[in-house]
Amino acid sequence: MKRFFSLILMAGSLLAKGQQNYDVSLISKQLMPYASSVVRLSEESIEVADAGSQTYRIKKAITILNRSGDDEAEILVWHDKTTSIKYIKGFVYDGGGKLVSKFNERSFEDAYAGNDFSLFEDARVMHFQPSVMDYPYTIEYEYETRNKQTLSFNSWVPANSTNMAVEKSSFTFTCKPGFLIRYKEINLPGAVQKGTNKAGMNTFTWQVSNVKATREEPYSPNADKFLAMVKTAPVEFKYGTLTGTFSNWNELGKWVYDRLLAGRQALAPSTVAQIKELTKGITDEKQRAKKIYEYMQDRTRYISIQIGIGGFQPFPAADVDRLNYGDCKALVNYTQALLAAADIKSYYCVVQAGGRKVDFDPSFASMNAGNHVILCLPFKNDTTWLECTSQKMPFGYLGDFTDDRTVLACTPEGGVLLHTPKYTADKNLQIRKATLKLDTTGEIIGDMITTYKGTQYENQESLTYESFSDQIKGIKKSYAINNLEVSKLKFDKNKDINPNLNEELQFIARDYASVTNNKLHFTPNLANRSRGLREIRNRATDVCIQRGYTDEDEIVYTLPADNYRQEKKPLLVIIEKPFGKYTASLILIGNKLTYKRRMQLLDGTYSKETYAELTRFFEDVADADNYSTILVKQ
Amino acid sequence: MNRFLLALATALVAFSATANAQDFDYGKFSHDELNSKSYKNDTSAHAVVLQEFGNARIVDADRITLDFDYHVRIKIFDNKGYDNGNIEIPIRVSSDSQEEITDIEGVTYYTNESGEAIKVALDKKNIFTVKDNQYWSTVKFAMPALHNGCVIEYKYHLRSPYFFKFKGWDFQSDIPKISSVYKVRIPAVYNYKISLRGTLPLLEGKQYEPGIERDCFSINGIKADCSAFLFAMKDIPAFKEEEYMTSKRNFLSAMNFELEDYTNLGTGAKMKMSKEWKDVDRELKTDESFGSQIKKKDYFKDKLVPVLAGKTTELEKAYAVFHFIQKNIKWNGFLSAYSSDGIRKAFEKHTGNTADINLALITALKSAGINVEPVMMSTRDHGQITKIYPVLSEFNYVVGRAEIGGKTYFLDATDPLLSFGLLPLRCLNDQGRVFSLDKPSYWVDFAPQSQSSTYALDFKLQENGKLKGTITTFLTGYDAYSKRKAIKEFNTVDEFVENFDEKMPKIKIHKFEIKNIDSLESALVEKYDVEIDVYDNMDAKKLSFNPFILTRISQNPFKLEERSYPVDRGMALTERVTLNIELPKNYKVEYSPKNVGLALPNNGGRFVTSFQTEGNNFNFSHIIQLNKAVYGPNEYPYLKELYNQIILSEKLDLIFTKS
Repeated sequence: MKRFFSLILMAGSLLAKGQQNYDVSLISKQLMPYASSVVRLSEESIEVADAGSQTYRIKKAITILNRSGDDEAEILVWHDKTTSIKYIKGFVYDGGGKLVSKFNERSFEDAYAGNDFSLFEDARVMHFQPSVMDYPYTIEYEYETRNKQTLSFNSWVPANSTNMAVEKSSFTFTCKPGFLIRYKEINLPGAVQKGTNKAGMNTFTWQVSNVKATREEPYSPNADKFLAMVKTAPVEFKYGTLTGTFSNWNELGKWVYDRLLAGRQALAPSTVAQIKELTKGITDEKQRAKKIYEYMQDRTRYISIQIGIGGFQPFPAADVDRLNYGDCKALVNYTQALLAAADIKSYYCVVQAGGRKVDFDPSFASMNAGNHVILCLPFKNDTTWLECTSQKMPFGYLGDFTDDRTVLACTPEGGVLLHTPKYTADKNLQIRKATLKLDTTGEIIGDMITTYKGTQYENQESLTYESFSDQIKGIKKSYAINNLEVSKLKFDKNKDINPNLNEELQFIARDYASVTNNKLHFTPNLANRSRGLREIRNRATDVCIQRGYTDEDEIVYTLPADNYRQEKKPLLVIIEKPFGKYTASLILIGNKLTYKRRMQLLDGTYSKETYAELTRFFEDVADADNYSTILVKQ
Repeated sequence: MNRFLLALATALVAFSATANAQDFDYGKFSHDELNSKSYKNDTSAHAVVLQEFGNARIVDADRITLDFDYHVRIKIFDNKGYDNGNIEIPIRVSSDSQEEITDIEGVTYYTNESGEAIKVALDKKNIFTVKDNQYWSTVKFAMPALHNGCVIEYKYHLRSPYFFKFKGWDFQSDIPKISSVYKVRIPAVYNYKISLRGTLPLLEGKQYEPGIERDCFSINGIKADCSAFLFAMKDIPAFKEEEYMTSKRNFLSAMNFELEDYTNLGTGAKMKMSKEWKDVDRELKTDESFGSQIKKKDYFKDKLVPVLAGKTTELEKAYAVFHFIQKNIKWNGFLSAYSSDGIRKAFEKHTGNTADINLALITALKSAGINVEPVMMSTRDHGQITKIYPVLSEFNYVVGRAEIGGKTYFLDATDPLLSFGLLPLRCLNDQGRVFSLDKPSYWVDFAPQSQSSTYALDFKLQENGKLKGTITTFLTGYDAYSKRKAIKEFNTVDEFVENFDEKMPKIKIHKFEIKNIDSLESALVEKYDVEIDVYDNMDAKKLSFNPFILTRISQNPFKLEERSYPVDRGMALTERVTLNIELPKNYKVEYSPKNVGLALPNNGGRFVTSFQTEGNNFNFSHIIQLNKAVYGPNEYPYLKELYNQIILSEKLDLIFTKS
């Protein structure tokens, strides 16, 4: 009974308190298109009161307009060993801006936030989503966390999701006078406002207002090409007992090398001896490196281990040698140690990995950049790169995970920005030749040989490690050939720096062609049909094709007799655009029906107006790919 | 499939070999195992369990605990099998009692370059415990020094205070096993029902007969004999999941234990857990999280006054109450057959688990005078239910079953887009048990659910090569639900249509109308005025046309040579498409495909096409019907062929000619 009473009192006091008006009708109509949520007001701040720690505060009110905006109502507060949560509280308002309920830290649930299988990762997240049934509604919350380091700071991204509009959002960095910061403003309409607060601390404030919602657009460029954001970094920092200074990549790379990497490469004398033995007599440096890389691949596996210094420091090479596992940092560090044992120089390189190519920004050094580590071997005129977390990748091959981007090499002389190799459209090949016999029942029989190169090497690579029965299942999934019965399937890999994969398939497929009245109906494009691309009206961003490729298909059908003719107009399509080329043809000579297709997509950034043309291109390609022929016996 | 082992009921042999069955030795390896390159019974396996031994017993130390030892040796052939060296053991924790893992030991054996066998022990420092949430933690370790061809071995001891839930044993997993043995010792003061799922047989023979250990358990002066069991299998194939199947738990060979009764060690009284349905019925009636909740009819009385205002028929009232609950309690993502905080709290906080919501629905319906009863069930992922005796832990969901005007409706209010009488796909599983609270409970089949789409396309081919006309779709059942869900993903209906239009660059939508988006009980009707690019021009003398312009199945969903488990789609399917095209005056259809009519055996489904032409008009219609929710493996080839015929028909173009 008593508890009930106090609750009422609390609610009463809340209502009495002066509040921002979150009535939804106050949102400008201009912010509504494509918006499922609107940030009404957001005030984010980072405060560095002493050089060894930072306080992050956020106060944010966000209106959820409909179901699809619900995810934005989930509040996530990340924490770990160095980050503690000081408080969390919040309120829920209805569409009219009337207070409905409140919540606090006790409403939240704490959960592990590490990787699938990760040893010793202490990332955790407090999360809570208020339960509201009536749209629209607004939640307002604030929390404060304290982090015992000043090496890295959160970036400020006012509209960090698609379909989110922003009425007003600000970010303030506050620090004591001696603490210098660097910052980078990206896509911001206004510049920083500098000042001093009552406590005599320096303040830097940025703000944006009336930001319209963006939508998901295919082939969009990286977020930093169109979203407003501010990145900040320290000059002098502390991380626990470590200290450091940097204002460019050279200094940051130097610090990483000196404080995080140096001294972690000692190996047992027996291992060093083993490496020397392994590479004995191999004079070519690159061949020695290849031998060592394969040795490393053979005896390690990747396991995520976030240990020490915010997960920035690799665990020692000797540990990897003993345990035979490690994360990207540990495996790179270990490989580097093994190479050193054979007198081969290499660089520990931090990279932003992923299908999207993201460069390290030469003008702004920050510990926030990068999520992965690879190894660079600076051979004379023949720089070679190694991905050390894969047991299967060919020596010197990066694939589309870390290709063509600027990375930070951490060397004893300091950090150096390097660029990883690019796989160009004419090297990312898929070349297919099929020779098939088509009979009067519509069955095809024959073989199809496909070669994959460049980034396309990885198209079927994972299948090669499967058992034969699983390979067959996989092949049936890759090819939309109805009733595919495989009689032979063989993969050959050439694990060169420019690897290629050869796939040899022998098969039968009944009913490939439909037969009626002596006519054969079928799609001559056997195994490589593209789908159309969706249109985007009022496209907002440039068209960015991250990676190009070239596909060539040649399929020769031997017909049951030489007195067939094509009932439809024979296929002949040639399209040439700045971003791609396509040709397809179908020619009948005697009893040989030959289908040829060549498709090339060229990487690059094109104006947003190009998008309509790209859609049209893919539509025409899809039409030509799905062309079905009718063969009539004369 | 469930087999009930009668072992416990029969008189036990006073002493058998069972009690002596021992774990295999730790730390032994053989060169043959290290040298083997593949597993002869399954050469596709990346790893195989060589030996696995579990030993579970209820122990009478300072407190009663369930003690469990696990010991395994796994041969890893290649690096695709390395995941077997990443060990995660989930443990239950709570503030007052928790499970503990101790005595973890592990070792990896491999052959080095010079052919020597090397042993590398797991370092205790590299064992970590991570707290997942307030109920669970995970003990993790990675076996060291994995090499292709290596053998790993590890063991651990688990001590659990949760002995009511005796440790089950999975004989089958995603890698094959050569031998798997589970030793179980249970004091006679606890009586469990033991069942075996799956189709694989247990080993039989003298040593596998159950036995008795005298006076093996003593606490508070009570002494008890123990039953000792030894369950074993050998040459267990890997379990391979197939598409369109329900929970693999239905098919995996595994041992399950359910506490039936126990002797209260303080009073010596026999406490029944859930021996018979009548006991369950009685317990549920007063269960704080179940029966007691449904009695709170009065709670809704006032709240329903405005909801029921003007509603006269029972069905109208039921609709109103259903939508009222749907709109007032949001599902928090947790599945349960029991209310967690009570329906009152769920209603006030607007959030609850599936039982909070559906028990609130049932209570509110009762309050409105509707004849409704709760039905407990198991969701598809959760598996099938044992029928021969009650296993309450197999229930993880509850829905309502209402009798209105002689019709039966199954009701679930956990999703605001589900219409009255439609159960979500997760519920379309097995049978449910009706607990009416005043009559004995009974099994019930769920009303069959269906998905149905009808498309009517009406076009005129223009002289400019474009088709102009209307597309009208009628969706009911699950198809209407899915479409409503898709529409609600967008901020407005306009944005949904814009997206739909953008996805089909050939089609321009000029006008649209979507009816009944929020009237869940009616068919969802969409009508689009469209223009479709078909030909760049009409210069050619002959034009070909594929009549499958809207729906097309490019790949046969059924590709297996052999099917081991049923295809379980959960519901029947119907798709009808009717296409009318008026050609320009001087055109006629020169060639059209033959009509197809194909049926599955036992009225299981059909595919029918029909083509008619008159002057410069033609009409093409087709229908795909799958009438059953579940098809047995023996029906698989027919399903496969049905789809083959659909794909064949879709390849056929018709030809127009200009006269």
